Amino acid sequence: MRNIQKIIKDGARKAVARDDVKYVLGWTPGYGFRVSPFFARTAEDTERLIFSPLCANNLTIYLTLQEKLPLPKAAALDKRKIALFVKGCDSRAVIQLIAERGISRDELVILGVPCGGVIDISKLEAKFPQAIKVEAVEEGEKLSLKVDGKSQEIPKEDILLKKCSLCEYPNPLIYDVLLGEEKQKKTKDYQGISTFEEKSPNEKWTYWGDKFARCIRCYACRNICPLCYCDSCILDKLSPQWIRRSVNLSENTVFQLLRTFHLTGRCIGCGECERACPMGIPVGELNRKLEKDVRELFAYEPGIDIEEKSLLSQFKPEDSEDFIL
Amino acid sequence: MSENFEPNIVAFLCNWCSYAGADLAGTARISYPPNVKVIRVMCSGRMNPSFVINALQQGADGVLISGCHPGECHYMEGNYIARRRFTLIKKLMEYIGIEPERFRVSWVSASEGEKFKNVIAEVTEDIRKIGQMKQLKREV
Amino acid sequence: MRKKIGVYVCHCGVNISATVDIEKVCKLASGLPGVAAAKDYTYLCSDPGQELIKKDIKELGLEKVVIAACSPRMHEQTFRGTCEEAELNPYCLEMANIREQCSWVHKEKDKATRKAAALISASVAKASLLEPLSEKEVDVIPKALVIGGGISGIQSSLDIADAGFGVYLVEKDPSIGGHMAQLDKTFPTLDCSACILTPKMVDVYRHPNIELLTYCEVISVDGFIGNFKVKVRKKPRYVNINKCNGCGACAEACLLKGRIASEFEAGMGKRGAIYVPFPQAVPLVYTIDSEKCLFLRKGKCGKSPACKAACGPEAIDFEQKEEIIELEIGTIVVATGFDVFPAKEKPEYGYDAYSNVITGLEFERLSSASGPTFGKIKIGGKEPEDVVFIQCVGSRDKELGNEYCSRVCCMYTAKQAHLVREKLPNANITVFYIDVRAFGKGFEEFYDRVKKEGIIYRRGNASEVYRRGEKLIVRAEDTLLGEALEVETDLVVLSTGLVQRDVGELKNALRLSQSSDRFFLEAHPKLRPMDTATAGVYLAGCCQGPKDIPDSVAQASGAAAKAIVPLATGKVKIDPIISFVDENICRGCGICITTCPYDAIELKEITRDGYPVEVAFVNDVLCKGCGACVASCLSGAIQQRSFTDEQILSQITALGVE
Repeated sequence: MRNIQKIIKDGARKAVARDDVKYVLGWTPGYGFRVSPFFARTAEDTERLIFSPLCANNLTIYLTLQEKLPLPKAAALDKRKIALFVKGCDSRAVIQLIAERGISRDELVILGVPCGGVIDISKLEAKFPQAIKVEAVEEGEKLSLKVDGKSQEIPKEDILLKKCSLCEYPNPLIYDVLLGEEKQKKTKDYQGISTFEEKSPNEKWTYWGDKFARCIRCYACRNICPLCYCDSCILDKLSPQWIRRSVNLSENTVFQLLRTFHLTGRCIGCGECERACPMGIPVGELNRKLEKDVRELFAYEPGIDIEEKSLLSQFKPEDSEDFIL
Repeated sequence: MSENFEPNIVAFLCNWCSYAGADLAGTARISYPPNVKVIRVMCSGRMNPSFVINALQQGADGVLISGCHPGECHYMEGNYIARRRFTLIKKLMEYIGIEPERFRVSWVSASEGEKFKNVIAEVTEDIRKIGQMKQLKREV
Repeated sequence: MRKKIGVYVCHCGVNISATVDIEKVCKLASGLPGVAAAKDYTYLCSDPGQELIKKDIKELGLEKVVIAACSPRMHEQTFRGTCEEAELNPYCLEMANIREQCSWVHKEKDKATRKAAALISASVAKASLLEPLSEKEVDVIPKALVIGGGISGIQSSLDIADAGFGVYLVEKDPSIGGHMAQLDKTFPTLDCSACILTPKMVDVYRHPNIELLTYCEVISVDGFIGNFKVKVRKKPRYVNINKCNGCGACAEACLLKGRIASEFEAGMGKRGAIYVPFPQAVPLVYTIDSEKCLFLRKGKCGKSPACKAACGPEAIDFEQKEEIIELEIGTIVVATGFDVFPAKEKPEYGYDAYSNVITGLEFERLSSASGPTFGKIKIGGKEPEDVVFIQCVGSRDKELGNEYCSRVCCMYTAKQAHLVREKLPNANITVFYIDVRAFGKGFEEFYDRVKKEGIIYRRGNASEVYRRGEKLIVRAEDTLLGEALEVETDLVVLSTGLVQRDVGELKNALRLSQSSDRFFLEAHPKLRPMDTATAGVYLAGCCQGPKDIPDSVAQASGAAAKAIVPLATGKVKIDPIISFVDENICRGCGICITTCPYDAIELKEITRDGYPVEVAFVNDVLCKGCGACVASCLSGAIQQRSFTDEQILSQITALGVE
């Protein structure tokens, strides 16, 4: 097996050499053991790109986040493509983005990398509180970690993000080039959600009320979401005002309900919202709850097919309506 | 919960079926509890679930949305489209611990004045039992 | 805040003021933000009531008006007119429904008053955000479509055509005429049904403005008042209607002649596979019944089809295919009629079991001089000695879900009893009834006359019909005498009621609603009995509810008059309560496009900050104003005029603080 680092660097170099490519969007080592997004514009730049179980970031967000300054009158539009690396889950964000016309397929060169799961930084920090520099290499069901120069093996289960241990789509569903070998799919289950659904309203609210009370309304969960990309978000507007700025349980709860609902049938489960939350609120669980309902009730999964119509703009006459009087 | 708690319920009725059904209940002098206040919309398809959340936040103890029976929508499929939204927002609200009774949906046709009364009576009684909206109620 | 809102609270006589404390409500309203004046009046919809509002609009410079009165479904148009007359945009009006949805349904005055105040404050909140709207006008295609060729459809077609407009009359059967063509005599005048109907049928055929489309069905309706696009399926007759001269040689030759139950004869007579429903059919052209014709079913009929050989003008064409034609029209009259209640749903009367239990319609054919018995009342070749009529079969029957009265059965029973007496002077005739409803012009007099002809009317519902020997026994309870009785008879005529006909997809295509009796729902039970909730679509005849012939004709002429108005003015106003897009916010995702049931939205490219972007664009004429797109939009870029997110939120806020 060729070294994955070499494979992705080769792939990136080929992409960046194309006349019709602006830059390659990938991962590079960042501060400490964190990984940063990186825009490689030259062959030289591509040497800095890496792919490892630390590359949790879903780079799709940068497709819609790029700032579009008003174009001077005479200036020509830069119509070159963006090449970007996507893991399995990231690729679903790209598909969903194309399906809802957020970006067009021909604006992209998609470099797919099969992924065996990425590390949950909080678990890593808990295990190695003093660690400064960490490198990680995937070795089957284990990770080989080099923590401040010391090597050790650790079972994936112990350190991966939860969504990764249930990942159904480790391999990109859309790509121009596939870099690396395809990985084994896992089966998703919604065990935790089903169990929680059985609780009484009171028990549920005790749990969530406590979580929402911690929200500081930094909007990181919204801002990092690759599918929350309206130029003008209804949550920011003053007229109409759907939500007040004040940070309190009522507004925080409504914020999370509206955020989650706007992702109904759109969320592809990359979990970036939850990863970005500085207060450790399991916001992704709300998305997973709707993902479960959408699958069970409407047999619908977003981010699989670029031709798919939006869940909420279609219906079947026989859709369930058992709660309707 | 206070003994004489009177629920404040906001109902969104579609113009063609449910609002007409409510009018019919009036014409026929079928009486029902005064707790429900109606906002008229042209179609239940206009109902964005955010309105439901907003109403519960702004002081409603419960929300009712009522439209034409499936297949009878004046706009052909507004109620079908809306039904998915209602189903999912209800599931989401229940998941965080908002009582199922807080948000109800009914299909009431222009000829169902009697059914309208029954819906209002049931919704009002159910909310009376669970008491005031607490989780989302805006802090003043 | 500028105080430019006027609030007007109506007493509606005592309809509102008996339950709502008007003075208190006015006082509360006058304290609401933006309210310049809050006044009350006995009847706001009256001239002086409207004058009061108009005067205030001018003198106080009102920019918005809130009317707290009856349902907007009742008087919104009235008060829009009031505003317009005072040069205020009619869409700057908001109504609070404190009658149908408050004073009429609540008993406790304090609670009703509080609710009325809340509803008014919500209306004021919304009114302060309302924007003036302008109505677009579009041209009207000066043609009408009439669906159904019974007496109602015929009357509507003739009236519209006489007014100088083109009419397409679509009839699903091979001939126009409908149920009226099947009747013998009509009550209470006893004139011959066919004699008064057939000249009208011929008028339709000859009218230069009417295009008759028989053996056709409407399959889809798109568009809107003034500009409907209608698809019609022309079923193959396998006879070229331009060549057929109606000579009937084909029917004489048909191998199945006299072997197929005739629909027109209500099964009492027979026809062949190629047939005209009745001799005076319009158009008088033959039709091959594709489900029965041997050649069409099996590809073989003798050596070669006898009808084809017999046809002089060579009109028979077995290659004929179904055709879909598209019509463009301005208005539509629905006259799809009714079905006779299926008597087998009352098995206790033995309709399926005994051949001498017949329906009222079957009796009509039996009694008709042009019917299978040439007008002789004979059953199994014998004249009955005893005849029993049972009324209200399928009507006024909660168990069947038919609570309504079919309105014609009492009188047609009286007429039929009279015809029996006329033809069989010695027969014993008994009528079982629940009530006799003789409400129309000349009805009571006729009923009286029939009773004096030796016909026994017994009050009570028959419970069962069964055979004993040669005779049938009708068991019933006479509720006036309070005794059970059995009547022997040779013939039982069931006065079957009228039920709504299954018109399939047509109901949805026309967006018609049904009332609880399943007949089509009119826009207002009293004031708009011909209109429907769909602009440009009107109802005539029994599709709206059971009617006798004069009522059907009257409603048909009314519907025609309604349908003529847009055709005559040549313009219709498009409701401005439709969706619009904020192009600065729209991200062009297109979810509104897939949500819209009318294909009214499309993407268009605009330039934003120098970049080409796609945004949604609403076609004003196609948009019907349901607002489904608004609810689908994630960025709030698409909104519905007069029902914007902001306006609805303001109502919620007002109701919440209550």
